[in-house]
Amino acid sequence: MPKAFTLWFTGLSGSGKTTLARRAEETLLERGMKVEVLDGDLVRTNLSKGLGYSKEDRDTNIRRVGFVCHLLTRNDVVAIAACISPYREVRDENRRLLGRFVEVYCKCPLEALKARDAKGLYAKAERGEIPNFTGVSDPYEEPLNPEVIVETDQETEDESAGKIIRTLELMGLIPAWEEEQEYSEEEEAKIKERLRSLGYI
Amino acid sequence: MRWLGRKRKPRFCVLGLDGVPIGLLRRLVEDGTMPRLGALLPQGRLQQMRTTLPEISAVSWSSFMTGADPGTHGIFGFVDLKPNSYAIRFPSYADLQAPTIWDRLGQRGRRSVVVNQPATYPARRIEGALISGFVAIELRKAVWPPQLLSRLQSMRYQIDVDTMRAREDHDLLLHELQTTLQAREQAVEWLWQEVDWDYFELVVTGTDRLHHYLWPALEDTSHPRHRAVRDYYRQVDGLVGRVYDRFAGSYEGAPAECFMLLSDHGATETVTEVYVNAWLRQQDFLRFEADEPESLEQMSAGSRAFALEPARLYVNQRRRFPQGCVSEDEVEGLKRELAEGLEALEFEGRKVVARVVDRSEAYSGPLAKQGPDLLLVPERGFDLKASVRQPRLFARTALTGTHTWDDAFCWSGAAVKQDPCITDLAPVILGAVTGEVPG
Repeated sequence: MPKAFTLWFTGLSGSGKTTLARRAEETLLERGMKVEVLDGDLVRTNLSKGLGYSKEDRDTNIRRVGFVCHLLTRNDVVAIAACISPYREVRDENRRLLGRFVEVYCKCPLEALKARDAKGLYAKAERGEIPNFTGVSDPYEEPLNPEVIVETDQETEDESAGKIIRTLELMGLIPAWEEEQEYSEEEEAKIKERLRSLGYI
Repeated sequence: MRWLGRKRKPRFCVLGLDGVPIGLLRRLVEDGTMPRLGALLPQGRLQQMRTTLPEISAVSWSSFMTGADPGTHGIFGFVDLKPNSYAIRFPSYADLQAPTIWDRLGQRGRRSVVVNQPATYPARRIEGALISGFVAIELRKAVWPPQLLSRLQSMRYQIDVDTMRAREDHDLLLHELQTTLQAREQAVEWLWQEVDWDYFELVVTGTDRLHHYLWPALEDTSHPRHRAVRDYYRQVDGLVGRVYDRFAGSYEGAPAECFMLLSDHGATETVTEVYVNAWLRQQDFLRFEADEPESLEQMSAGSRAFALEPARLYVNQRRRFPQGCVSEDEVEGLKRELAEGLEALEFEGRKVVARVVDRSEAYSGPLAKQGPDLLLVPERGFDLKASVRQPRLFARTALTGTHTWDDAFCWSGAAVKQDPCITDLAPVILGAVTGEVPG
């Protein structure tokens, strides 16, 4: 079996990180792998409770998530992180720590996110009601060489999820799933024996 | 994989007992071997049931799961011919050309758990969980979704008894019948809770294995294995009872209306094996280059007919087969000649072939033309075979039981039509679960 790895989703709020992380989780579970999802919003209510949104606090949060990913992957559990993780340097620090690290950039133009704004967060941020809001009042540093870029304003959810899984397959991190509908030669020989033993051939 | 919080919808549970004829079932209830079944029978209607031809599990179960005959589902036997060839191939689940009960339920967002279903290997994606049965080889390829695998392995789930060894070693057979049944029940208990299902199906295949190898022990009270085979049926009875109790316990209303028991074909004691290709050779319908042929590929030019297991007759027709020599005009006459000859065949003064059935009578649907030209229905106890290696017309092997086509059974509290065929059951199940009349 392939060893565990970290699948790291980065991107602005509302760009599809959590949705795609859950899709990836579902697929990996179907393929018999152990998986844990570390969702940014949930992490901030427990593991990183009390941390704010300054650069320092954001980096601390991402280092903690990276540390938990490290614990998980060394115990053969695939770690899926879905955090805005706006700063390149700390993402790359995690990449060095974790080794088997697959960065997925959920790319979506700010204008599209503002137009979508299902939770009304961008509107609030623009009115100044949410300080340090990434993309509005805080920076977001795009990854330079992510393993996968999903353009969530242009692709369907299925297309984006498929791209991620295909990349993991090509990297040899997850077993390729081909529905094996034909018999191998060895199987055919065994089937023949079995049918013969029951008098069916 | 746990789906919670859904509103309760109609569910249906099916328990298949492979190869159990209605007569045997009645006897086992009457003599007290199957008391749980005895208590259950009055809550529904037990009927004798016909299956599709040929009466073998690969075909019968495909007919059950699709509600169609081979002319529609495309599975004509455990073996078939490669296109434009006399070489044999082994059809798989991928060759099934019609949607199954669980495919149709899945299209409506309803989930199924299907355990040990013959003719579904290699397993493919279904809405719910599938564990393939015979002829499944590798458990890894026999489960959907793949995450079931490790738990099943930890239960020591075994797809089938070791049929090669069990054929000769009856201690091993009886031991493995028990262990496979126990592991199957464990898998049922687990999946029953694990999946929020709408349709649950379990097939017990050990019954068929027992009949093939130890049929006389069922009937003959002085047989050294009599008690052991009856004990196996007692265990099956216990399983039936527990599955029903589990279903009834979770069911509001009359559970028997959504519970079904069936067999896919009947069985009886073998009188003799009858080698149809040997008969075709004797009558000069079939010739081989070699004195001791190994396969149909060695057939000589000029051969007019041949058989595939178990009793499927093909006219070696021009444009259908590579060395076909029978013209379209000659086909009907040849079929009549074959039917007359085979219906006159006798063994120790007993008729061997009850009836020769034309393809047009046996099959409907767009794939019917891919099937055999004629199907032989044997008289009880005559085990029709097509091996070309056997030069003798009549022979015996270690096999003691053989299949029957018209005395399978079906029991349910649901409204199953009078005098049913196995293809009549899928619409009843689909109708009960979805509330729709299936088209």
